[in-house]
Amino acid sequence: MTPIPDNVHGAILISIIDFVLSFVIISGIGVVLAILPVVNRYWAIDDKDLKGGH
Amino acid sequence: MLDQLLSLFESLMGQTGLAHLYWGNFVMIAVGAGMIYLAVAKKCEPFLLIGIGFACIVVNIPGSDLALPGGLFNYAYKGVSLLIIPPLIFLGVGAITDFGPMIANPKLVLLGAGAHLGIFVALILAKVLGFTLSEAGAIGIIGGADGPMAIFVTMKLAPHLLSPISVAAYSYMALMPVIQPPVMRLLTTKAERNIQMAQLRKVSRLERIIFPLVIAGIVNLFFPPVAPLVTMLMLGNLFREVLLVGRLAETAGGALLNVVTIILTVAIGSTMSAKTFLSLETIEIIGLGLLAFVFGTASGVVLAKIMNLFLKTKINPLIGSAGIASVPIAARVSHIVANKENPKLFLIYHAMGPNLAGVFGTAISGGILLALLGVK
Repeated sequence: MTPIPDNVHGAILISIIDFVLSFVIISGIGVVLAILPVVNRYWAIDDKDLKGGH
Repeated sequence: MLDQLLSLFESLMGQTGLAHLYWGNFVMIAVGAGMIYLAVAKKCEPFLLIGIGFACIVVNIPGSDLALPGGLFNYAYKGVSLLIIPPLIFLGVGAITDFGPMIANPKLVLLGAGAHLGIFVALILAKVLGFTLSEAGAIGIIGGADGPMAIFVTMKLAPHLLSPISVAAYSYMALMPVIQPPVMRLLTTKAERNIQMAQLRKVSRLERIIFPLVIAGIVNLFFPPVAPLVTMLMLGNLFREVLLVGRLAETAGGALLNVVTIILTVAIGSTMSAKTFLSLETIEIIGLGLLAFVFGTASGVVLAKIMNLFLKTKINPLIGSAGIASVPIAARVSHIVANKENPKLFLIYHAMGPNLAGVFGTAISGGILLALLGVK
C-alpha cells in the first residue's frame, strides 16, 4: 500500500476515505440489523427458561 | 554551630518537594481542584473527574513519586498503556447497555457515522497546525466522544499525547450538556424539534443474543486493530442478554467496571504533570477537541435532516447529535433539548439507537484510521 503523505493533502485524503468507508461499513451493520428479525421466524427463546439459570 | 544548623536545614529542605515547586505546579493543582469542583458542585461526570482531578493534584506536588516508575499510579498507567484497561471498561459498559433501541431501528445507525465529521475536521486542522499525521489522527479521534476508544487509538498512534487527548475527551464528554444544545437549536426549526417519533418495535431475546455475536464477528473480520475494544463490549453484552450468567454480568458491569474506572482515572490524572501538560500543544489539542465536538454534533443533526427528506416516517433531528457516541450523555442531551421544547416529547429511547451506533462509528473510524496509517 502506498503510504499516505504526512502533509495536509494526506490529512484530507485520509479523512475522505475514512468518512466514506465509515458510512459504507455502518450501512452494512444497518443491513445486518434490518434482517436480524428474520431469525424470529425459525426460533424463539423464552426469557423465563433462561432466567432459571444454573 | 548556627552555620551547621542552617546547612542542615537547607539540606533537609532540599530533600522535600518545596525546593522544586514552580508556578506550573500551582496551575495544575488548580486544574485538578477545578475538576473536583466540577464533579462535586456541578455533578459533571463525578465518576471520572474525581479520580482524574485527585491524581492530577498529587502528581503536581513535587516530591510525589506515585507516578514515577515503581509508583502505584505508574502501574495504573501501565494498565492503560498496555491497552488492558480500555477493553475492560468496554466489557463493563457492554454488560450494562441495552442495545435494543439500535437493533429496533437500523436506519438510525447511519447517524453513528454521520455525527463523526468532527473527527476529520480536527484531524485536518491538527495537520495544518503542524502535528504529524499520526498525532493528528489521535487528536481527531477526540471527536469520536468515546473515552476508551480515544485512549486506545492514541496509545497506538501518539502515546506521548495521551494526557491532553484523554483530558480533552473526558472533559468535553462531561460538558456535552453545555456544548451540544446551542448547536442543535441553531440547526433545527421549532417544527423539527417538535417531531414526535413512533414507538419502537420490541426486540426478541434471540435477536439480542445474536447481535453481540454478529457484531464481534464483523469487527474482528474487518477491523482487527480496534477489535479488542468492541469484542469485549460484545462479550459484556452477551453476559447481559443470555440471562443465564447474571453474576458475571453484574460483576462486569458493577465491581469490575468500578475497579477499572478507578485505575483509568488515576492513570489519566497521573499523566497531567505540569512539565508535560503545560504547553502550547495542549492548548491546541483542547481547542481542536472542542471543534471536533461542535462539528460532530452539527453533522449528526444535519444528516438527520437530510434523512427526513427521504423517510416516510420523519425522525426528530435532535437525535442526530446523539450519534456522536458518549453513551448515554449525548442521548440524554437530545431528550432534554426536545423535552424542554415540548414536555410531551420523550426521545431518550429513540436517541439511544444513534448513540449506541456512535460507539461503533467511532470504532470503525478509529479502525480505518489505524489501517490507513499502517498501525496494527
